[in-house]
Amino acid sequence: MPASAIAELEAVLKGTTAPETDSTIAKRAHYSPPWADVSIIGIAGSSGSGKSTLSQAIVNKLNLPWVVILSIDSFYKSLDAESSKKAFLNEYDFDAPDAIDFDVLVDRLRDLKAGKRAEIPVYSFEKHARLDKTTSIYSPHVLILEGIFALYDPRLLELMDMKGIIKQWFTFVKPNFEKYVNPQRNVADIIVPRAMVVQFIQHRLLEKSTHHRAALTRLETDAKSEPLSDQVIVMKQTSQMRGMNTIIHNIDTSNEDFIFYFNRLAALLVEQALNKIPFTPAEIATPQGRTYAGLEPKGEVSAVIVLRGGAALEAGLHRCITDCKTGRVLIQSNIRTGEPELHYLVLPDDIAQHEAVLLLDAQMSSGGSALMAVQVLVDHGVKADRIVLVTYSAGRMGLHRLTKVFPEITVVVGHVVQDIEERWIEKRYFGC
Amino acid sequence: MSDLKRAPTQCVGPDYRSESQKPTAVVSTGVEFDTVTILPQTPQLIALLSIIRNKETQRGDFIFYSNRIIRLLVEEGLNHLPTVEQTVTTPVGRPYDGLSFQGKICGVSIMRAGEAMEQGLRECCRSVRIGKILIQRDEESAQPKLFYDKLPEDIADRWVLLLDPMLATGGSAIMAVDVLKSRGVPEDRILFLNVLANPKGIQNFATKFPKLRVVTAFVDPGLDDKK
Repeated sequence: MPASAIAELEAVLKGTTAPETDSTIAKRAHYSPPWADVSIIGIAGSSGSGKSTLSQAIVNKLNLPWVVILSIDSFYKSLDAESSKKAFLNEYDFDAPDAIDFDVLVDRLRDLKAGKRAEIPVYSFEKHARLDKTTSIYSPHVLILEGIFALYDPRLLELMDMKGIIKQWFTFVKPNFEKYVNPQRNVADIIVPRAMVVQFIQHRLLEKSTHHRAALTRLETDAKSEPLSDQVIVMKQTSQMRGMNTIIHNIDTSNEDFIFYFNRLAALLVEQALNKIPFTPAEIATPQGRTYAGLEPKGEVSAVIVLRGGAALEAGLHRCITDCKTGRVLIQSNIRTGEPELHYLVLPDDIAQHEAVLLLDAQMSSGGSALMAVQVLVDHGVKADRIVLVTYSAGRMGLHRLTKVFPEITVVVGHVVQDIEERWIEKRYFGC
Repeated sequence: MSDLKRAPTQCVGPDYRSESQKPTAVVSTGVEFDTVTILPQTPQLIALLSIIRNKETQRGDFIFYSNRIIRLLVEEGLNHLPTVEQTVTTPVGRPYDGLSFQGKICGVSIMRAGEAMEQGLRECCRSVRIGKILIQRDEESAQPKLFYDKLPEDIADRWVLLLDPMLATGGSAIMAVDVLKSRGVPEDRILFLNVLANPKGIQNFATKFPKLRVVTAFVDPGLDDKK
């Protein structure tokens, strides 16, 4: 391994490398989710050398949803008639680099590197063709690319953080190995024992988490002194609103009353949010035979629930749109570090075409999970100006952060609180 | 048709959007009575009214969307009820300076259209008592006539939310208020909740009862008494 590579690896392991995403805060603040600039680790080796076993072992050991394995086998080219014939006769050489569609592979990895969702082809060995369906990969922090030619294409190497090659390469010597795989050793930083790869990934994850939290803190200090954006709509504090807030806040309120008043207030929040969606003029013919200039919504409105707090607003949502398509995203703050983490995601397929997407969360304090949720929608093709975040209560700081990063979004807030509060609404609403 | 021309038209939408980004629609005609509140003419409200006034709208949708408007009326109407300051302790242990609702309420629907507003009322006020008044036009005199009423016994001690979605001439609403007053309900404790009103009807009503509050979603010069 070259000396420079050793130095780099040591620096990474010690955590002394310079941050790779230094967000400059200009008029519009920049937010970089922890999955932007995914670390890609290549594991190459001959067939049967234990690449898959190693990758699997690493993932099991880490036990985190942010580390995914991508097998290069998914990128086999669909075969033409002649090659297909050969393949069925077992005469086609799958262990040659020509069998792999590196262009698509590089393309998908670049998408992931940019923080976007990537559609991974599904290859059928029975049909020797790519299937119509794809598997999507979104938001890994570390991606392990494994396959006999994981380090073959120079474009791949450019995208990688660490180039590993399996030590046990000599166990199975194959003719192809001499021809194609062996030269890859020259570009591998290290021939790794398993523990070292695990350690390397753990450091990489820690580093990403540190950068992410530092970026969140930076957004905080910059937003302190300014007034709230005019796209933050705080509900008018009428006597009914204040009365309902009092019942909701009162620790002595029964569960039954809490849920009743929270649902009632949630419906008002959603009604307010629906004023911010786009409308288009419509000629209305009345039963009296007159026509007048009315309005209709421009297109479909869907919702995304930020679990679990956002689910408390769902009853209110369905009082206003009974058949609303509803996606879900689970973002949990890490107990140890406070860093928001994306655990689960399901969105309507056509969400990018919807005229408006209501993003529902019961409480927002630091704004970390709201930022992440908005970023997820943007990554899935939803334009920021179509997003309306609806939340029962929000901290000033969180609102500043969010609207600094995404000035186009609209936020509807029940009431603004000064400081960070623990998420008590959802505990109260769900009773646990 | 000359009436229609008086209906005001304007751009509707959030303040932060430019005029060009806001669609134009007919909005409620203004009314010059301090006691009459017209709901804010938001694009969403106008879209809801567009659905319920469209002759093509199916019954199920009609009921659902009317109900949404009625809830907004009830929410606005309830703001006129008295409150007192109250400080409570929150689940995270800090004090919260809030308000507590005062005064008993009841609903009274003018049959039969007013009964359609009862569900919206119940969604905001659980287990609210609801009285009923049936007023129909007398065949001979063409004047509204009281046929039936059933009201809570202690109605004189309550705030009354009087429900009727349409106000054309105001004849039956005026008669209903007279019934309530005859049972001892002071005029200033009656709130009349209404979806669509004719400006002349509102004028008659508000002039006759200067202390009674009216909350309506839309005042339309084109509205007549054909329900």
